[in-house]
Amino acid sequence: MTTNAISRRKVLAAGAAAAAMVGLRVTPARAVPRLDVTQGNVRPMPIAIPEFIPGTPGDADAARTTTQIITNNLARSGLFAPIDPAAYIEKITNFDAVPRYPDWRAINAQALVVGRVGRQGDGRLKAEFRLWDVFAGNQLEGKQYSATLDNVRRIGHIISDAVYERLTGEKGYFDSRIVFIDETGPRERRVKRLALMDQDGANTRYLTRGEDLVLTPRFSPASQEITYMSYGQGDPKVYLFNIETAQREVVGNFPGMTFAPRFSPDGGSVIMSLQRGGNSNIFVMNLGSKAITRLTDSAAIDTSPSYSPDATRICFESDRGGRPQIYVMAAGGGNPQRISFGEGSYSTPVWSPRGDVIAFTKQAGGQFAIGVINPDGSGERILTSGYHNEGPTFAPNGRVIMFFRDPGGTTGPALYTIDLTGRNEQKVPTPSYASDPAWSPLLA
Amino acid sequence: MGRRMRAGLTISAVGHLAVLVWCLVTLPSTKIESTESVPVDMISDAELSQIMAGAKTAPKADAPKPVVDKVAPETNPVKDPTPKVSDKPEIQASAEAAPPPEPKPPELKPPEPKPEKAEAKPEKIEQPVDEIAEALKRDEAKKKAEAKKLEDAKKKEEAKKRLEAKKREQQQKFDTAQIDSRLALLDKRAPQRQAATGAELNPTPSLGAPNASAATMSMSEFDALIAHLHKCWDVPAGVKDAHDIAVLVRIQFKKDGSLMTDPMVVNQSPNPTFRVAAESALRAIRSCAPYSFMPIAKYEAWKEVEVNFDPRDM
Repeated sequence: MTTNAISRRKVLAAGAAAAAMVGLRVTPARAVPRLDVTQGNVRPMPIAIPEFIPGTPGDADAARTTTQIITNNLARSGLFAPIDPAAYIEKITNFDAVPRYPDWRAINAQALVVGRVGRQGDGRLKAEFRLWDVFAGNQLEGKQYSATLDNVRRIGHIISDAVYERLTGEKGYFDSRIVFIDETGPRERRVKRLALMDQDGANTRYLTRGEDLVLTPRFSPASQEITYMSYGQGDPKVYLFNIETAQREVVGNFPGMTFAPRFSPDGGSVIMSLQRGGNSNIFVMNLGSKAITRLTDSAAIDTSPSYSPDATRICFESDRGGRPQIYVMAAGGGNPQRISFGEGSYSTPVWSPRGDVIAFTKQAGGQFAIGVINPDGSGERILTSGYHNEGPTFAPNGRVIMFFRDPGGTTGPALYTIDLTGRNEQKVPTPSYASDPAWSPLLA
Repeated sequence: MGRRMRAGLTISAVGHLAVLVWCLVTLPSTKIESTESVPVDMISDAELSQIMAGAKTAPKADAPKPVVDKVAPETNPVKDPTPKVSDKPEIQASAEAAPPPEPKPPELKPPEPKPEKAEAKPEKIEQPVDEIAEALKRDEAKKKAEAKKLEDAKKKEEAKKRLEAKKREQQQKFDTAQIDSRLALLDKRAPQRQAATGAELNPTPSLGAPNASAATMSMSEFDALIAHLHKCWDVPAGVKDAHDIAVLVRIQFKKDGSLMTDPMVVNQSPNPTFRVAAESALRAIRSCAPYSFMPIAKYEAWKEVEVNFDPRDM
């Protein structure tokens, strides 16, 4: 009995002590106080890119071009703010020397790119760069490349990608190309040619002469091939076009009209719409075996299919619910789930190469907007909106979207880029009007 | 019925009494330690924003002394320079066959700046009597007049330097607008171990109760630091999975608010963008230094902090 009472008393005493502790919150202070910084600035990183050092006086032009390309690329990305060279204190003359950090800190440069462009023994171009963290006082990256003389611009893009990747943690997109529809002539008699250019608008090449109407070109993720839709004789058909050989072939031999083609992520097949009568359905054709698989079978218009980067799912546009909306289904077809539920109608969905979002064109209230939505239907965001915006295509890293904007009237469409934050919109220079852009994967 | 009620009343009274007695016996035995009071600032919005901005009229804090929390076992820097200068000739006379010692004394001269720091202190801190300081003074008394002359000269120099440093500090202190000029004044010296050990203990007692809890910073005082870091932190924007790349950084400060050591990233993540996020946090800390607005009186409470840079809410 007594032992029992004692033990109970002990229990009660312990309980009382615990209650007292809780009540008074005698929490011994942490040895080291911890603070939370949950807000920061979203602003471009100040970066210094002094002109690259020419290996010999004859390389001065190549060095200048390379520097300009890098500066231009990084500035256009919206993530970097190249500092005006007039503000530089230290003049970089030795590629192999450690820069004077205080000079660069003084102008608030957070990163510094130093480079040299010269010749190798075999006459090829040799370009090197070092990326310095000015405040930490160390080298973040250092690489060298060699190429033929006509590849100066590509070297600039490749170095831009290396700097971008090291400072943002994501792959770059500068060493890539754009295929688009070049438009010339008055609105009622437009000549539309298939054209190819570098991502920054340089090196435009025309791939067709404009006899046939060409629409919706798409890059193969794996080869130098483009698929597009063209009105030749009779019904519009989907074609494959090889950039290097200029050869083209019809994809499949369907009765009826095929359109809205897009490659699968491995480049081995083409997914597209086939219209027969009043409805259209989605088909996929294996380019090797020519085997055709039907993926949807509805009385509605199913079109604009696009694979997820892991090729397990497909997003597409369908009006089976009344207005055109975005649906997602398994790559083998069956049981599509509607993911867009906003006002108006949604079209031209395209899955980001990094898989996190699907971009779309949205038409509502007389406005055409470019936006993104998560594959599960959450997080819809409009990036830009106006009279007419259409046809989003992702940069290889999924950070930037290119689209075309047609202001209407007597003028014609032009290409624009916008990044996923919606803060950085840029016009892409083209020789004349341009529409229907499609971004290539990285070349290297 | 009345009897029953009375019985119940008795039982109740006895029961309550028993509980009371039990409480009297047991409760005092559960020792509740007295705790330090937590300072809580009651401030208005205006005052808060003033804290964030830094007060231009704030009184000038004492010039920071090198913090010494450990007595260096050897007092080499004090003893060496003087005896060697004078003793060497004797050694030369007795050991002629040993030329190597000759070049040594001039080589040893450079460490002289060290005694500067150690000797300069006793001059300033005369009131608080310290046993170790006393012992040192006795030591110093043995020194020759030459050394004293040298010392005087050094003291003058030191005072001059300190004046200059004060001037510079005052100029740079609350000049938050001109970040560029402050960046140029960054402490670029390599972190030195000298700061932790020296000839004598720092006689300045740390604030706080003797039960080892130091002076506590209120949250609004830390808010000033947070707000400052917030201004300097350029978040890696639009990065995929930005919500799980929080970076925890440990910062050690000197009394003047400059960085004692290079800030250190504490946590890790397999996320490929973590490295970039970590670098952005370190860049913010380095480019914002020095944090001269921190209350020097509560140095013990903020000399080391961990800051969690978390872009989740953005």
